[in-house]
Amino acid sequence: MPPMNSFSAMPSQTVPDDIDNTWNYLQDGITKIMTNLQEGIDLSTYMGIYTAVHNFCTSQKASGFNSNANISTGAHRGGTSGAHLLGEDLYKKLTEYLSRHLEELYIQSKAHTDEALLAFYIREWHRYTVAAKYIHHLFRYLNRHWVKREMDEGKKNIHDVYTLHLVRWREVLFERVSGKVMDAVLKLVEKQRNGETIEHNQIKQVVDSFVSLGLDETDSSKTTLDVYRYHFERPFLEATRKFYQNESKQFVAENSVVEYMKKAEARLLEEAERVDVYLHPDIASALKKACNEVLISEHSAILRDEFQVLLDNDREEDMARMYSLLFRISDGLEPLRSKFEAHVRKAGLAAVAKVAADADKLEPKVYVDALLEIHTQYQGLVKRAFNDEAEFTRSLDNACREFVNRNEVCKSGSNKSPELLAKYTDVLLRKSGTGVEESELEKTLVQIMTVFKYIEDKDVFQKFYSRMLARRLVHSNSSSDDAETSMISKLKEACGFEYTNKLQRMFQDMQISKDLNTGFKEHVQTLGIKGLDSSYSILGTGFWPLTPPGTTFNPPEEISADNDRFSRFYRNKHEGRKLTWLWQLCKGEVKANYIKNAKMPYTFQVSVYQMAVLLLFNEKDKHTYEEIASTTQLNSESLDPSLGILVKAKVLLLKPDGEKVGPGTTFSLNYDFKNKKFRVNLNVGMKSETKQEEAETNKTIEEDRKLLLQSAIVRIMKARKRMKHQQLVSETINQIRQRFVPKVADIKKCIEILLDKEYLERLDDDDLGYLA
Amino acid sequence: MTEKVSKVTLESNDNVRIQIDRAVAERSMLIKNLMEDLGDDAVADSAIPIPNVNEQVLRKVIEWCEKHKGDPIQSAEEENDNRKKTTEIDEWDQKFMQVDQELLFEIILAANYLDIKALLDVGCKTVANMIKGKSPEEIRKTFNITNDFTAEEEEQIRRENEWAEDR
Repeated sequence: MPPMNSFSAMPSQTVPDDIDNTWNYLQDGITKIMTNLQEGIDLSTYMGIYTAVHNFCTSQKASGFNSNANISTGAHRGGTSGAHLLGEDLYKKLTEYLSRHLEELYIQSKAHTDEALLAFYIREWHRYTVAAKYIHHLFRYLNRHWVKREMDEGKKNIHDVYTLHLVRWREVLFERVSGKVMDAVLKLVEKQRNGETIEHNQIKQVVDSFVSLGLDETDSSKTTLDVYRYHFERPFLEATRKFYQNESKQFVAENSVVEYMKKAEARLLEEAERVDVYLHPDIASALKKACNEVLISEHSAILRDEFQVLLDNDREEDMARMYSLLFRISDGLEPLRSKFEAHVRKAGLAAVAKVAADADKLEPKVYVDALLEIHTQYQGLVKRAFNDEAEFTRSLDNACREFVNRNEVCKSGSNKSPELLAKYTDVLLRKSGTGVEESELEKTLVQIMTVFKYIEDKDVFQKFYSRMLARRLVHSNSSSDDAETSMISKLKEACGFEYTNKLQRMFQDMQISKDLNTGFKEHVQTLGIKGLDSSYSILGTGFWPLTPPGTTFNPPEEISADNDRFSRFYRNKHEGRKLTWLWQLCKGEVKANYIKNAKMPYTFQVSVYQMAVLLLFNEKDKHTYEEIASTTQLNSESLDPSLGILVKAKVLLLKPDGEKVGPGTTFSLNYDFKNKKFRVNLNVGMKSETKQEEAETNKTIEEDRKLLLQSAIVRIMKARKRMKHQQLVSETINQIRQRFVPKVADIKKCIEILLDKEYLERLDDDDLGYLA
Repeated sequence: MTEKVSKVTLESNDNVRIQIDRAVAERSMLIKNLMEDLGDDAVADSAIPIPNVNEQVLRKVIEWCEKHKGDPIQSAEEENDNRKKTTEIDEWDQKFMQVDQELLFEIILAANYLDIKALLDVGCKTVANMIKGKSPEEIRKTFNITNDFTAEEEEQIRRENEWAEDR
């Protein structure tokens, strides 16, 4: 190597366009930069090389023209079209030099394998690219003029000097060693996958080098990942697949599915981390896909088979694991969902079957709790194990709808579920000995709504609910107004205004009645009469599911006087309204002053029918059945049970003893009546009465449904005017589904009825028309 | 990293040393790259030799760089557009370029060598303005060029460039 100062002596005056001279000088400098940069380059050398390149490139036709003329000689001699820029020789020399240098590196590389080769590759790559940057700067004049011109003219094989370095590296060295380098990389990765610690920084540097070599042939300012993808990603993914294929096959053979899931989960996590630590982010999705395929898809069958076992054993954590694994592959979860749905349905049916042993005496609470328990259990599972996913929730809903509407208890009819649910609600909302905490009650109502959501025959629920609400209101034994309101607003939210309209009106009636009674009391006071301590409820006929009494009744004098007064008072306020007395719902209290040996008088809580009977005994102590019947005007269906209870409680004594209440019997007052309590409730509802009511409710449902269907059909036809039969049926189903699931046969029947009534007409082509 | 040096020294080919602000020197891509490659230490104590430029021209170039040290560096595309569109030169630069022809060309050569694109542009525009609106004969006179075309050659060129004539 020549002494340093020879560079600074590089005179711009040396015959400038002698390429050999110039190159000899440049080559010394470049070699120093390529191989010995650590010793540093001094300023004169740097400027010397730059200046030599500059002078070579500007030396053209220097002889023969003075320097002033240089500027304007560009277009001289019309034969050439554009300035001739020197530099090609320099570029060629540099290219040759790089090829020689890299050839040498290639020969050196043969001495190394595996990790030593990696180290060699990385070291030389680093040295080479640093040098390339220097040389790029030093040859900047060449870049700016000759290279730029060549590239502007569209020459493909000319690159700026830095890129030229990369291209040479790729062609001379990389193409020949990249395979071996990759082998070394893959060996290293496999070591790590087998649990050894490796120098992963090496791999990172190899990745960076491969990425740098991705030159876009058409635009040198851009880079592509093609080289990296072909030489790194492709073999990397292949090796990954092979590794995990072997590993998972062996692992599955030797371990349980649950163990395998843990292993796969850990491996997937590991690979994701690998990308972050030393791979290029470009590989992330491909690597994930490869791993998913080999670790999950290829074993998805045995995973899914295991799902039922996990479900049966409530292995929540493992199910969550399976979910997250199968979530990664397309269509991975669908089979789980259908298995889950079937399982929940089965569980629901089993739970119902367990409590349905004696269906007739089934407590509503027990039934609803059974439904809720299954729902709560599996909703929890969906939340905790299945990421609260909408699809799984839908499967859960489907299953619940199935077992709520079609189960052992509903065998007799699908009305059973809404009926029991309504009854349970009634139990909750009715005043009872077991006081339920307000917050607890609200929580239970929310749960009721959960089941309600699944009920298909929502109209049945409505029927029973309104009946029972009426009873609670009339007998004023609702546990709290707040709870009632809350329940109604929940139903309104679920089914709309129309659904709860009547329920709300019932509520309003009770409020209005309260005010009315206050007014009536004041009115009585101003009259100066001492009336009964009475209270009246005015119930709108259309809103309350109540029917007039099934018997004639002649109320006793004491009651009818007050009664008539109220009627006058009311008519005065609201002209033209008709009051129908629902005697069967009336009740009152009477004080028994006649009983011997009583420290204080007993109070009997009685129905108004019983009251009428008892008041008769103010006249005399003994009455025949016929006398009672003719005075009260009650028919035997109402009279007999009323008397029956009085006899059973020994308020009245029956003659002949042991006979059934009926014609030919006599009743006398029992002066020796005894009871532990001073208030005796004799107004106990009769079993047969409620049974009958149920049957009645169910019967009205069928009737109401027909009306509901017909009105829906008319509504649709009114809007559409003309429709195909089939279309009308499906449209009707759509509209009515919110309330109940209609049968097609029923809809057809209703259409027939409407045709008969001439709301609709038959047109050709199976069309139906609307008749205004 | 050591603290950035704030001054650098340039040495002209007639061995005159001139100390200037780093920011001024870095108008030259050559010097900027050099400092990037060799590091601050290399230029802290020694002068950077500029073998192709003499003191007079170097001072002139530095004067321009001082004036323009704060200019934003344009991106390649912007630069291309602006350069092609206009031959306008701002006032200061016009004055700056009012020098004898020989010095003007030396400035242009130095700008080209030192890789100061903006200065090179200003120089070339100045020359372009000198040509603009002149007949070939006037141009030859301006730049002291001998006409070495034969009459036939001249006729041929005229024919070939007929399309560009104003008519």
